[in-house]
Amino acid sequence: MVLMILRSLKIMDEAKAPLSEEVIDYTGAKLGMWLFILSEFVLFGGMFILYAVHRYKNPADFHHASKELDVILGTLNTIILLTSSLSIAVSITAIQKGENRLSMVLLMVTMALGLVFLVNKGFEWTTKIGHGIYPNSPTLLARPKGEILFFGLYYVMTGLHGLHVLVGICVLSVMLILIAKDRINQVHFVPLENAGLYWHLVDIIWIFLYPLFYLIT
Amino acid sequence: MTSTEATESVRPRISFYEDRRGILSWILTLDHKRIGLLYLIFVVAFFFSGVVLGFFMRLEMVAPGGTIMGPQTYNALFTLHGIIMIFLVVIPAIPTTFGNFFLPIQIGARDVAFPRINLLSWWLYVSGAIIVFFSVLTGGGPPDTGWTFYAPYSLRTTVNVPLAVFGVFILGMSSILTGINLVTTTHRLRAPGMTWKRLPLFVWGIYSTSWVQILATPVIGITMVLIFLDRFFGVGIFDPTKGGDPILYQHMFWIYSHPATYIMILPAMGIVSDVVPVFARKKIFGYMAIALSGMAIAAMGSLVWGHHMFVSGQSDFADIVFSLLTFLVAVPSAIKVFNWVATLHKGSIVIEPPLLFCLSFIFLFSIGGLTGLIQGALAPNMHLHDTYWIPGHFHYIIFGGMGFGLFAAFHYWFPKMFGRMYNRKIAIRAWTIILIGFNIFYFSMLLLGWEGMPRRYYDYLPQFRTLHLTATFGSWILIAGLIIMFGNLFHGLFKGEKSKDNPWNGATLEWQISSPPPTENFWKIPVIRHGPYDFKELENNG
Amino acid sequence: MEIREEGHPSKYSTYVLVWMGLVTLTALTYTIAVRIHPGGWAILVALAIAGTKSSLVLNFFMHLKSEKLLIFKVIIPLVMAVFLVFILLTFSDVAFRGVVK
Repeated sequence: MVLMILRSLKIMDEAKAPLSEEVIDYTGAKLGMWLFILSEFVLFGGMFILYAVHRYKNPADFHHASKELDVILGTLNTIILLTSSLSIAVSITAIQKGENRLSMVLLMVTMALGLVFLVNKGFEWTTKIGHGIYPNSPTLLARPKGEILFFGLYYVMTGLHGLHVLVGICVLSVMLILIAKDRINQVHFVPLENAGLYWHLVDIIWIFLYPLFYLIT
Repeated sequence: MTSTEATESVRPRISFYEDRRGILSWILTLDHKRIGLLYLIFVVAFFFSGVVLGFFMRLEMVAPGGTIMGPQTYNALFTLHGIIMIFLVVIPAIPTTFGNFFLPIQIGARDVAFPRINLLSWWLYVSGAIIVFFSVLTGGGPPDTGWTFYAPYSLRTTVNVPLAVFGVFILGMSSILTGINLVTTTHRLRAPGMTWKRLPLFVWGIYSTSWVQILATPVIGITMVLIFLDRFFGVGIFDPTKGGDPILYQHMFWIYSHPATYIMILPAMGIVSDVVPVFARKKIFGYMAIALSGMAIAAMGSLVWGHHMFVSGQSDFADIVFSLLTFLVAVPSAIKVFNWVATLHKGSIVIEPPLLFCLSFIFLFSIGGLTGLIQGALAPNMHLHDTYWIPGHFHYIIFGGMGFGLFAAFHYWFPKMFGRMYNRKIAIRAWTIILIGFNIFYFSMLLLGWEGMPRRYYDYLPQFRTLHLTATFGSWILIAGLIIMFGNLFHGLFKGEKSKDNPWNGATLEWQISSPPPTENFWKIPVIRHGPYDFKELENNG
Repeated sequence: MEIREEGHPSKYSTYVLVWMGLVTLTALTYTIAVRIHPGGWAILVALAIAGTKSSLVLNFFMHLKSEKLLIFKVIIPLVMAVFLVFILLTFSDVAFRGVVK
């Protein structure tokens, strides 16, 4: 399934050629990607609605549970993802200017930052699980209902987000290969731009996840 | 002749069927017309399987008590009937078949914006269907929750809910990608001169639908994921023992599933809007009103989902708000009905099967809509919810509306897609039988519900016996009519007379190219100089 | 060959400035939450800052600001409206349970 997503993202921009040369509708390709991004916003939006309802009903429990998250690690992860957005944005500008090597280096930086984000997330999760806090654990079930819900939402939302980061890293690695093969270059770069849009989407979702889970006061 | 016809007749006539052969050239095709047909084959096959399930359901319900099966089987049957009909037939049917096949042609394009994504959508559809069928055969057996998978029962029942909801998730992905493809196609690939106001109303219908697909489907996507995660990891968001809220599940489910009903009906309305002018030989009355009312239905239809939940335990305030909004959404639908009737008024009516299916659409959809208003009012809803009134209502809308719209499309576009014609007399007879059977069957359901017969019940009190018998009898007439209709179409497919390129004298672009169309549709992309229903223009130039 | 309507690529310095804005806003939201404890207003402030950050990412990193076609100007307000409608109507239930009309 991941492979299908990768392939579809990679080839999304190639419109069918009208009997003669290969003509690519750059704006059309971008529009398609934006529409996909809208659907992703709604996907996560659904979970934000669930979060809002459960927080509304259990404000104290949410506050209490939130204190158990590592706010320093969360803030660090936010900065990491924001920086990765910077690196990919610059990477795209670089390729538009014909600076392929710079573009590739910045792509690798983006991927590395994404990996660090995931490693940090991994630490957070394993720490919690080590303390017996995971869905359906006896420790968690003994706690007040609001806290059970907080951690349920925490795992599902950050988990789904993390999965999107992982997919993003895979997509970027494909882009890296395509630049190396000159299939993406100064003349034809819309796949990279679309991959960038996806990466920024993942960043924006985290921009909201961060305060809602780590900064509940 | 229009300039398009002049150019097209010069070009050698190789249809898109002949261009490449062999099964791989079909299942790995990038041609929107082939993909449309691939979808059509499966949609029709799934429709048949849904009808068979329905047949056995009605057979069981012909008498009180057990007739041919036990209660668990019955629960599984109505669940599967719903899942198959909703997710595998009615939601995808028109956009993926006729939408794929005709939208590009009607806007003057060679294909959709993303042909490979189109193929991916079809493969996801088939995969989703396979997964759903596996849920029948494996694990604890087929789901028995109803197609609505309400929590907490869906979290606890030992049957194969996870596989079924995973299948629904995959089908949702297919739907979203189709929506993305068709919106982008409409924005970017219109031929020169094909302004938004010259688009056929079928395109407007598909366009509005596609927005709903993009913006509403992800909600059911995440809801299905959450059911899955709750069953395997005990996350608890909808589970009251963990502080979760089952009513919240219903909100999330219906936030998609109500707009899904508009995904079902808007394309069918688009078909009616295209067909009626052709057979009234008259421009559509109120083009912009129909185009924009479709967008209004898409928008307002996303605000009414709570009308499925009046008795669920949601707040009284929400009840009132949703009831009010439900009444408002009837307005744009009514605008369409008025405009279709106004188009027919003083038109030169040509009685052909496509028109007959459209006329009955208008009648049956109106009954469906009016019954919807009755149940949208809070006090009646208390009595009617979860009775047979509800399936009576939605079969009028979905089957009488969308289904008949689909059948109209079959009969309208058949000569264009296959280059042959079916038997007109048999088509009209089949239509008559279907219409009679349909009303005997589903009107009985409305009456049963009014009398208080609960839905999704395996057994019932003796007072309901006559109406159930009538309904089952009606279902047999309906099925007989369907068999004749499909038999006629299949016969026409293989043995029908070759048809002209424009047997109905339509003015939209698909009628200006050969039947069946060539690969890439147009030798030269046409330049559009008139609207989609300018019959006078066409006749002047021809 | 790519058909393209847009103009020239953004300057590197624009991106760095935006990034600095994002980091500052992150520091701000952290400080307000952890040091200042605004109580009831906390969530509104946090969401306002998150909204501003997203707006920067959307407009500059994702180039929405420089898009000329109407459809690009419409899509983000559209999805925000959709989300708002979903959450408000859901709360018309959740916030009024037990209130008899």
